[in-house]
Amino acid sequence: MERRFENKLALVSGAGQGLGHAIARRLAAEGARVAVNDREPSPRVDAVVAETGGIAAIADVSDPDAVTRMVADVEATLGGIDVLVANHAYMSMAPFIDHDPDDWWRNVDVNLSGTFFLIRAALPAIRRRGGGRIVIIASEFGVVGWANATAYAASKTGLISLTKTLGRELAPEGIAVNAIAPGIMDTPQLDVDAADAGVSPEEIRRRYAGEIPIGRIGRPEEIAALVAFLACDAGGAFVGQITQPNGGATRNLA
Amino acid sequence: MSGEDTRVAIVTGAASGIGAAISALLAERGWRVAGLDLERSETELPLQVDVADRDALREAVDRVVGELGSVSLLVTAAGMYEMVPVAEIDTDRWRRMLAVHLGGVVNACWAVLPGMLATGSGLIVTISSELALAGGSGDAHYAAAKGAIIGFTRSLAIELASLGVRVNSVAPGPTDTPLLAADSPWRAPDYLETLPLRRLVRPEEVAQTVALLVEEGGYFTGQTLSPNAGAVI
Repeated sequence: MERRFENKLALVSGAGQGLGHAIARRLAAEGARVAVNDREPSPRVDAVVAETGGIAAIADVSDPDAVTRMVADVEATLGGIDVLVANHAYMSMAPFIDHDPDDWWRNVDVNLSGTFFLIRAALPAIRRRGGGRIVIIASEFGVVGWANATAYAASKTGLISLTKTLGRELAPEGIAVNAIAPGIMDTPQLDVDAADAGVSPEEIRRRYAGEIPIGRIGRPEEIAALVAFLACDAGGAFVGQITQPNGGATRNLA
Repeated sequence: MSGEDTRVAIVTGAASGIGAAISALLAERGWRVAGLDLERSETELPLQVDVADRDALREAVDRVVGELGSVSLLVTAAGMYEMVPVAEIDTDRWRRMLAVHLGGVVNACWAVLPGMLATGSGLIVTISSELALAGGSGDAHYAAAKGAIIGFTRSLAIELASLGVRVNSVAPGPTDTPLLAADSPWRAPDYLETLPLRRLVRPEEVAQTVALLVEEGGYFTGQTLSPNAGAVI
């Protein structure tokens, strides 16, 4: 594997499992020192930290003060931030009219506001390094919408718009902002979906794969590879773009 | 990825600009590259052919298969560019633009697909343009031709998804290649100031995007990736 992140410092939110774990592992494998963010301390965060040789960076991203403190700690410990990956997410689904308002807003508070808090807090640190890269993990739901996912989809479409706007705003100073809107991915969320549907984890994966044109679910490593591309020189001409690895599920331009 | 076994690639438009950069990067990454172009390309197997000529292109592809083996990667970068006000786009200009771009892509796909479908794997990357997404003054025929390539790419992707062949497009922004004349308005400082990145795209950046699709882009099909310096967001 190439080592495109030697001497680079990265902060990955929601890195305790799933996509965030794969992203942290990939950046570390290419030489980055990684701050592993998650909502609270846990053995699985410790495991990712140990695996990547990084540091833990605990904060609930929906709490702006906690994010500010966390980012300050990361900058002090690592010495800066070159790459910020906003990967954290909260998802709950319900018919719109029945969705509990507090829970509805939790999707937006975590996904959209949490990303804003992260970027706002990290921007001075990125500027002090003379520029950097921000990669936002959005969702296919944010591109095409999804029944019973108004809150999640709205938060993710908000992230797409945030990506485009910050892409324009920050590119002139050497900070590229891009997003990834993955389709169905093989993450722990599928186990939640399986439980909701009352079927086995294998069955839910089989069903989803059958709905994807290429006939399989995406692998977290594929998103991690795309993050690495967008965060290194190879992806230097990408500004404000929404990339959509989804197995062909949708061809809409975001 | 598809083609680990053979790693033979055909790149159209390989003699200069984006096609040349893609050919060079693929060769660096271990691919055996046949470069199809009106001009002679710096590739392992340079073949001079007009992509708009379906029979000639098929013959060229047959020769590639005969000399290098079955083709698992097709990159269509052949193209031409001219700015012409729409009232001055005569029928010949219109047809030529469509024949080179859309025709060039379709002809190449017709030629390579039987082999890819026989092995059940393959990757096609079409080079389109940001002008296909946003349009531009004096670009009606070019934008129509490149837009047609994107529509073709999406449809072919769905048609072939379950057969092991992925099809994606890369839509570069204004790129620093010989296609942009020295006095091109795309090179003017006033224009570059409108780009969020404040510079032209480098051919190598387009090549790197193709390499991503080739090496680690297995979950992409039917997509358009846009290394465009922020020209279209």
